[in-house]
Amino acid sequence: MSEIHVFNHHAMATHFQVRIAGEEKDYAESAAQTAFTLLTRLESHLSRFRVDSDIARIKELKPGEIVRVTEPTFACLQLAKKMELATRGAFSVAATALKTQPTAPQWTLLPESFSIRCDGGKLEFDLGAIGKGFALDRLAEVLREWSCPAFLLVAGGSSILAGEPPAGTNGWSCGLGDDGSAQRYWLANCSLSGSGLAVKGKHIFDPRTGQPAEREERVWALTDTAAESDALSTAAMVLNKNEINDALAQDKSWLIFMNELDAWRCLGSRALPARA
Amino acid sequence: MLKPLITRRDFLGTSAVAGAGLLLSSCSPDTAPVAPKKSSVNTLRVALIGYGAEGGVLSESLMNLMNTGEIKVVALADIWEYARKKGKNTYKASGFEVNDYENYEDLLAKEKDLQAVIVATPDFWHAPITNACLKAGLHVYCEKMMSNTIEGARSMVQTMRETGKLLQIGHQRRSNPRYVFTFNRLLHQANFCGNITAAQAQWNRAVAKDLTAPKHSEMSADQLTKYGFKDMHQFRNWRWFKGLGGGPLSDLGAHQIDIFNWWMGKAPQSVFASGGLDYYSNHDWYDNAMVVYEYPSTKGIARAFYQVQTTTSAGGGYFEQFMGDDGTIKMSEDPSLCAIYREANATGNWDDMIQKGYVREKEVVEAAKVDVRETAALAQYEIPVFFNKPPHQPHLENFFNAIRGTAKLNCAGDEAFRSEYVIHKANEAIGEQKRIVITPEEVEA
Repeated sequence: MSEIHVFNHHAMATHFQVRIAGEEKDYAESAAQTAFTLLTRLESHLSRFRVDSDIARIKELKPGEIVRVTEPTFACLQLAKKMELATRGAFSVAATALKTQPTAPQWTLLPESFSIRCDGGKLEFDLGAIGKGFALDRLAEVLREWSCPAFLLVAGGSSILAGEPPAGTNGWSCGLGDDGSAQRYWLANCSLSGSGLAVKGKHIFDPRTGQPAEREERVWALTDTAAESDALSTAAMVLNKNEINDALAQDKSWLIFMNELDAWRCLGSRALPARA
Repeated sequence: MLKPLITRRDFLGTSAVAGAGLLLSSCSPDTAPVAPKKSSVNTLRVALIGYGAEGGVLSESLMNLMNTGEIKVVALADIWEYARKKGKNTYKASGFEVNDYENYEDLLAKEKDLQAVIVATPDFWHAPITNACLKAGLHVYCEKMMSNTIEGARSMVQTMRETGKLLQIGHQRRSNPRYVFTFNRLLHQANFCGNITAAQAQWNRAVAKDLTAPKHSEMSADQLTKYGFKDMHQFRNWRWFKGLGGGPLSDLGAHQIDIFNWWMGKAPQSVFASGGLDYYSNHDWYDNAMVVYEYPSTKGIARAFYQVQTTTSAGGGYFEQFMGDDGTIKMSEDPSLCAIYREANATGNWDDMIQKGYVREKEVVEAAKVDVRETAALAQYEIPVFFNKPPHQPHLENFFNAIRGTAKLNCAGDEAFRSEYVIHKANEAIGEQKRIVITPEEVEA
């Protein structure tokens, strides 16, 4: 197997890692640095903690007002809308707004002008459950552009995006759960995200009720893109099994892993990756 | 090879809280709002020359203005095909089609109905491109530095005067509503600092690997030579090479040293500095610099210290701080770094300034609770300006409004030259290891 080069970066209040196989270290480092530069730029647009970000500007909108946002922010919000529809509201970038507002704020994306219109309430968005995945998808574009197709990208330990496998392997060995998990799969050209309450406590809210997620067990989502897996795993924390099956029925490339009472269960019709 | 002239080479979409909005509108140098129009005769036709890192940043603001119909970017040029395609695709992904050209000469030859160009190329191309565009009858917004040489910068001002066309230099803080408000209201009207006795500014960056290029995207040796670069490494890292750029003092320091001059209301009378090429082995310019400018004031000399490091982030953050016997103002493009401090024995009081809308009290969490076991924290105050645009947009708006005749340039070429001159002198002071005297006459173009 070829050497794997590992590069680290801090962004979006967490740890990002780029692993590149099959490339000289110096060149791989340049590719990773270019990806991290993009990550910094994405954070400046997507962070709700940056007072001059797109998300901060959106928050200032009053009902009826419109603001144009950058292309990445618009694309991320489009994906967020798609995931909100697919999960019938179990995923929403406005979930945390329910802490301060009686009802969810309403908004419309205007594709012809890359703008967003506030239709009601205050658009207090938190992209924490999709932004990191979205960033990984964009970083992957950079690495492919740099002819580094064999990569593994990690965001905060909760989302990974695997590119082509390292030469001579079946994929990137990825485990579900804590370090050294026995539940391992060879992943390539797909994304895996996990959600749970063990690390950050009850931080996931059901956008449909404003109540904290009750599911005690962790959930993992396997999809083609990291934005989808990030959002889907979060939504699955507040969906019951029937609702999860309804969501998975809409996209055959989605798979959910659950661990209940030490028994692993898989939902969805996507073929399981090979066990590592 | 194409020959550079030089050797070898607003309306401010601002909201300010509680009454301060009106104050800001009235104090801004760019007071006339231009209502957004959709594709009208007032739509300015613009070209972007250079789609590197800065061209990409400027494009975010340009696309916002295209969306309102105020301008239309019809073309872009970049000598590097990779960057050119990236630029064209970025505009396309945002719903805008632009023509693309390898160089500014082709662009000027083909695009006959332009009114303005934005120049965001390496510094040593600024003067030849700006001069050619001005002479072609176009208004020019040119990124800082004006040039990698004083002569180049001076030629730009001369061409500006000869042609009567507008030349805005990209010191975007000059149009930043927060800076404009604080300069007009706090610094001048409220005399918040009292006598300014010192200033400091810094911009430090962590060690970064030199830029390279994706495989198969490199320019040919002939093409690099044609445009004045020795090789691809020099092209991608032009900022650190003499004859192409001006090093960190020019790349980062230019913005903040310009703020020194703007807020002190004059150029310094001298500069001494230390710095060196200590860390990197394959650059020309200093990778660190510490500079002291001396500004004459009513209380003797006010010294302004500037630091730039490219070997440490120092924890991050970039700011300019003006310190006086009554108070201190700390400014930054990052609003979270802005702060104001008032000396305990300063004349005037916070309530009066709140009443006038100059400052606002920071929100205090759980204000109703009182903990008698601990000393209460002093009230904190902040600059009451929020604006919902990317940092470069107000300066571009000011430029476009000036073309329409509804505003005056916030940083015209001759004004920018005064800062340009003293920045070059700081590099010179490092090289000569001596204090350099600067006369009021020599900072004029």
